[in-house]
Amino acid sequence: MRFMVIVKATRDSEAGMPPDEKLLKDMMAFNEELVKAGVMLAGEGLHPSSKGARVKFSGQSRTVVDGPFAETKELIAGYWMWQVKSREEAIEWVKRCPNPFAIDSEIEIRQVFESPELTDNADILRKEAELRQKSEQNARR
Amino acid sequence: MRFMIIVKSSGNCQTAAEPDGKFVAEMRKFNDELAAAGVLLALEGLHPGAQGARIRPAAGKWKVSDGPFAETKEMIGGYWLWQVNSQDEAIEWVKRCPIPAHGETEIEVREVLDAEQFAAQLAPAFSRRTQRAAA
Repeated sequence: MRFMVIVKATRDSEAGMPPDEKLLKDMMAFNEELVKAGVMLAGEGLHPSSKGARVKFSGQSRTVVDGPFAETKELIAGYWMWQVKSREEAIEWVKRCPNPFAIDSEIEIRQVFESPELTDNADILRKEAELRQKSEQNARR
Repeated sequence: MRFMIIVKSSGNCQTAAEPDGKFVAEMRKFNDELAAAGVLLALEGLHPGAQGARIRPAAGKWKVSDGPFAETKEMIGGYWLWQVNSQDEAIEWVKRCPIPAHGETEIEVREVLDAEQFAAQLAPAFSRRTQRAAA
């Protein structure tokens, strides 16, 4: 099963403060372990929300609001995508993660839907597989 | 530039809700258009937050809390990863996204740090190491 492991933002990440050298080394070592164990599928870091935007949908209207956004601890600073055998395994890996920031932070884990969980319609599953194939091609370009 | 397009929970994502057929068909068409335009790099939907967990450091240890969590509005329901030329282009694509029939929803557009930007952000740390290695 796959899990999205969400690193929540902090005051420091929202200020665009880079991690210090020790944390960077610890995080690189942790990432290497994840890769070696076959757990790591993807990982990305995001720019602070001050550079971001939100589009609010209400009925047929769409309103664009520019960042920064107030509720720092609910914002995302980055994420991993992991392949593990259970929710417990994902939590065990998170517990081994170096604290991503010098100040208090939070990591959220959420299981990712696999297509067969959503439908057993063979036609839809085939189209879904084609869509994923096409996006992987786009990503390699 | 790559953008993470975060689809917020529309209030019903803490528990599984069957989206209606028309919305699913429109969303499939939208995804096909994104893929054909070379914009779509990845997409995932998440299980309801009620089944998730949050882990935070407390007194030098990691403390685990199981879902569900209170602030539904800020929960993530899923995301796309897009390759576009500007944030404006990303926002234009978001505006074309089909809207679910029920409730209000919000989509957040956040630029992804690319390897070069990440290196530049870390440049002071890296250059110190490189200088030491070279010395």
